[in-house]
This record gives sequence, C-alpha cells and structure tokens, in this order.
Amino acid sequence: MLTCVWCGRSFAPAITVTMIWQWRPLPQPALCATCHDRLTPISPQHCPQCGRQQTTVEVCRDCRRWHDNLRNRAVYRYDAGMKAYMQQYKFQGDYRLRLGLQEALRLALEQVDYDILVPIPIDERTWQTRGFNQVTGWLTGQPFQQALAVTATHKDRPQSAKTRQERLLTPQPFELVAGASDLLANRRVLLLDDVYTTGRTLRHAAQQIYLGGAKAVTSLTLAR
Amino acid sequence: MTDFSELFGRRSPVPLPGAPEMVTSKAVTAIGQRWQCQRCRQWIAATDRLPNGDWYCRTCLQLGRLTSRDRLYTIPEPNRFARLVMGGLTWHGRLSARQMQAAQAVQKHALAGQRQLLWAVTGAGKTEIVYPALADALARGWRVAWVSPRIDVCLELAPRLQRDFGGVEQCVLYGGQPVPYHYCQLTICTTHQLLRFDQAFDWIIVDEVDAFPLATSPMLQVAIDRAQKTQGSCLYLTATPGERLQREIRQGKLAVTYLPLRYHGYLLPPLQLKISWRWRQQLGRGRLPAGLQRQLRLWWTARRPFLVFVPHVADLPVVMAVLMKAGLSGGTTVHAADPERQAKVQAFRAGNYRFLLTTTILERGVTFPKVAVAILGADDPVFSTAALVQIAGRVGRLATDSGGQVLAYCHSNARTVQRARNMITRLNRQGRRQGGRPC
Repeated sequence: MLTCVWCGRSFAPAITVTMIWQWRPLPQPALCATCHDRLTPISPQHCPQCGRQQTTVEVCRDCRRWHDNLRNRAVYRYDAGMKAYMQQYKFQGDYRLRLGLQEALRLALEQVDYDILVPIPIDERTWQTRGFNQVTGWLTGQPFQQALAVTATHKDRPQSAKTRQERLLTPQPFELVAGASDLLANRRVLLLDDVYTTGRTLRHAAQQIYLGGAKAVTSLTLAR
Repeated sequence: MTDFSELFGRRSPVPLPGAPEMVTSKAVTAIGQRWQCQRCRQWIAATDRLPNGDWYCRTCLQLGRLTSRDRLYTIPEPNRFARLVMGGLTWHGRLSARQMQAAQAVQKHALAGQRQLLWAVTGAGKTEIVYPALADALARGWRVAWVSPRIDVCLELAPRLQRDFGGVEQCVLYGGQPVPYHYCQLTICTTHQLLRFDQAFDWIIVDEVDAFPLATSPMLQVAIDRAQKTQGSCLYLTATPGERLQREIRQGKLAVTYLPLRYHGYLLPPLQLKISWRWRQQLGRGRLPAGLQRQLRLWWTARRPFLVFVPHVADLPVVMAVLMKAGLSGGTTVHAADPERQAKVQAFRAGNYRFLLTTTILERGVTFPKVAVAILGADDPVFSTAALVQIAGRVGRLATDSGGQVLAYCHSNARTVQRARNMITRLNRQGRRQGGRPC
C-alpha cells in the first residue's frame, strides 16, 4: 500500500503481468489513480509552436501573433485539475507534491534532444518566502545549469496575477549569470518552466540564452 | 488607540506591531531529533524539508503554511465583552418538560466546569436544549465557541444562532469564509479553525462529535483541548457517541445527560434488516434486489418522498439508471462534490423531487418531512454504526410524520448493522420507559 501525496489516501498501484515479466523494480507511483486522472496529458494533436492541445496540428492564433519560431512542448493541459495542483504546490508551498509529477517530467525530458537544461529561475524574495524553486523540484537528478538569474529584485505583482496585455508588456526580467556564455556557446538549450500562458516569460528567457551564444533554444513546460 | 483584539486568544503568524502583552513562540520547534508544528502539534516527516533548509508542516497546510522560519503571535484572552442582559437570548420558544430537565443538567455541568456529553437521540432538539446554558455562559462574560467537524452543520446553525441570540456578536469561520475574522463573544466554526485559537474559550460546544473527520483525527482532538482555557470545559453533542466517549462515561471521566426521546415524544423508527444475497453482483448486471425495487415502487406510487443511500459515489449513476428503466422518474442524485448539492437538497425538501439517491453526506443534519429511507448495501464498511443510526434518524423527525420506514438491504447481517439495530432498540427501550409512543 502506498499513500497518495495529493489526496493522502492509501492505494494499491495496479500491477500487470508485463511489469513482473520485465524483472525490474516495480514502479512506485506517487499519485493514486483518482488524482492521476485529475490531470489531462496533451495528445500529439497540439500546436507545433506552443504545444497547446487543439483539434488540428496547425500553428494556433496566439502563436501566429508572435511572429517567431519558439518551440515549446507541454506535458499536461492547464485545466481545473492542474490549477488545483499548482495552487497547492506553488502558492501554498506544499513541496512534497513535487513527487507527484517527477515521473511524468522524467519521461517528457527523455523525449527531447538537448545539451543543457536551464530551469526558469525565481527571484530572491520568492526563494525566501516559498523556500524552493517549483521547477527544479520536479527534477530527479537530471543535470541542469542555473544560467539565468532574475534582475528585478522586487516584482510588484506575480505574473499569474496579471492580464494578458499586462503580461505582454512585462520588461525583460532575466540576465545571464557570470560565466554563462562559456556554458551556452554552440549548445542546444532546453528551457524548463511550470506553465506556458502567454509565452512572454519563455521568450524573454530564450532571448537571453541566445545572447549567451546558444545554437538552439527549445522549451518544455509542465502545463499549457 | 489601535485595536489589537484580532490577536486575543489567537495563534497567528502575522504580528501586530506595538501590541502590549503579545506573546510569541516558534511555529515549528525541534524536540529531540524530530520537528513538531506548534499549531497542530503534529510531527513533521523527515522528508518535508525545503531546499532552503526550513521544515514545513503539511498537516495544517490548508490554514497557510508554517515553516521553521515563522513565529506565532498571541495575546492572552482578556474576555473584553460588554455585559449582556439574559445572555443576548432572543428566542421565545418553549422547551418540553423532558428537554427542560436535560437543559438544567447541562447548565449545572457547565457551571461546574465539567467535560460533558449530551447524548440525545436524533431529532430531540439538541440545539435548543443547550440554549439556557449558553445564555447563562454568555451572561457571565464567557467566550464561547460552537464548533462542528461538518461545514454543513455550521452553515445551518449560524443563521439559527444569529436569530435566537440576537443580542450577541457572532462570527462564522470556515475554510473559504467570505467575511474576515473579528473578535467576538460567540464563535461558530469548523473544528479545523480551532487550530488558530490558543486558550481562547471558556466553553466549547462540539456539535456532531462523532462525525468525520473529527472522530478519526488526533489533530482535531488536540485542537479542541488547546483552544479552551486551562479552567475551560467542553460539551459534546451527539446522538451516537463512539466507543471512546462511551468508555469515558463508564470510567466516570465524562458527565453525561441522556435524552432518549424525540421532542414530539415518538420513538425512533427501527432499522429493518432485509437480506439481499449478492446485491453487488446483481447491480453489476443492472438489477436491484427485487424486494428493494418493489418497495421503492410502493413509495413512489404512494407519492411518499424517499432517500436511497448507496455506499459509493460510483454506485449513484448505476442505481439511477436501473430506477429510470423501471419507470421511477422525478428523482436525482447528490454527492459531496456535486456543485448543485445545496440546491438539490432544498428542492427535495420543497417537494420538487420525488426521491433522492445519495451517499453518506446526507446522513445527518437534514430534515425532510414524511421521508422514508432505504439503504442499499448497509453492510459496506462506509456505513459505520453511527452512520446507520443517524440515517435511521432522518425518518419521522416532525410530529406530523408517521409510518416512515428504514430498510437496510445487505448481503449479510454485518456487525455494524447489528450494533446499529441494538443501539436503536436500547434507546427505544429507555424512551418507552419515559412514555414514548411508537410512530
């Protein structure tokens, strides 16, 4: 019996004959089936630029307005279930919930080709109050480089509290850390963030990474 | 002068600068090798450490996260209230002779500062019985909390107390309440909210003490003990005390007042056991036990409103489909996560639905006139003894109701069902001695 990190109920994970036949340690899911079903994975039918779930595979309207070619993949849809998860993990600060999505992120990272993984940083104030970076919490030992830092020492409001227009007008919040150019020169960089909403944050970050001399920048977010 | 009353008897992570007599302590302290949250008194798991080195408490996370960096601030409760005439009581109803007797006993125990239990059957008028003692307590300047583990109970109770104690300032606290907290003499809240109080109350009334989650949560038991003053006491209200409370009565640690008869003097309807062999498998094939279906049709044609309890939310659509196929229309289903839950219950009470399929959420705190009850799968572990007695207590709550039945359909004669039947029989025996009539 395992205990679900989200709802706290104990549950027995489903075991199939294949799992036994493979002769590997049995998987230890952190979420029970009910909680797992609250999150909806994004199917292959998504926008080729931002990774949004849709019925076609054409570039979506929001992406056409950007006139660039950022490539983002997302693991889950940002629906009611995902919002509830983020609310508890990020805003209430329940660090243990990170265990719930580590496996999904590990599988998603295996699908992507990259040289360097750069998680989106959080500012000093958030680090003090929240006590953790929500993005690196999901990593299970994958090597990453903290090549970016937040310049604005004090954000007046978090991104999540702004409207689309306000978010698009946000000034560049990131800078490269000292010595980042050596790391990034001619490498393929993967940016990692929690939620893609307007794409403003990721584009700001990508801009800085390109300035550092990276060959290509793609991104992966947990939700879109 | 700034108002510091917000911290009176509270345990808050936000200080009020300049407040006199403000006491502060660490929110999470190390005890030996382990860490303990000082708000909920639960141990923190060794893995719940943040990357910045702080420990945080997951148990009371819903009330706002506490880390080892935080401090808790409190000002000892000064009982700063205006003197009330009659304890602010504006209720003009009358208690029956039996209720009066119980009310006096409750008042006596409360004055003596004893922990006590009011064991009154479902539909005995527990709330009103407490009124004289509550008015007395408020007139003495006590700070009182009326708490319940169930938010529904709090929400139903608040307007009643608002009406019947018009002279007392009150506030209602629960997760997601619309109005912020303010200092007042009578607080109505969920048991979780008591975690925010520190030796604040002279008297705590715990309504439905055996209900989930209080019965199984050591955190909430501790919360009740710590929210009352050292010389304070508490009163438990229930129709179905659990094993622990019954043991404390036997050991003499708990004063008890019995009321085995409903306010209208009728006895409780007995729980009738109907064995329906392999009902779960039958349901899987899209059939209800034949007896149950016949009975539901009888009620349906007689236009008697009825409740059907099922063990799990997943069973609701299945049973509903069977009933629809059998031509029993005009009913609906309701469960805990149903967004229209309150509206559906209201509509059923008003007679807009002919029946309601539900889970244990409607086991207590609701009154429907003339209702009959069937429990499908009463032997399922979801239905505890207390739950079954409470469910049976939905029937015949009004003086005008008669002939309501409670039928329990189960695969086998489970121990919980036996105990529930025994409890009802025992209460009815005591009730008959006091002159109760079968309904």
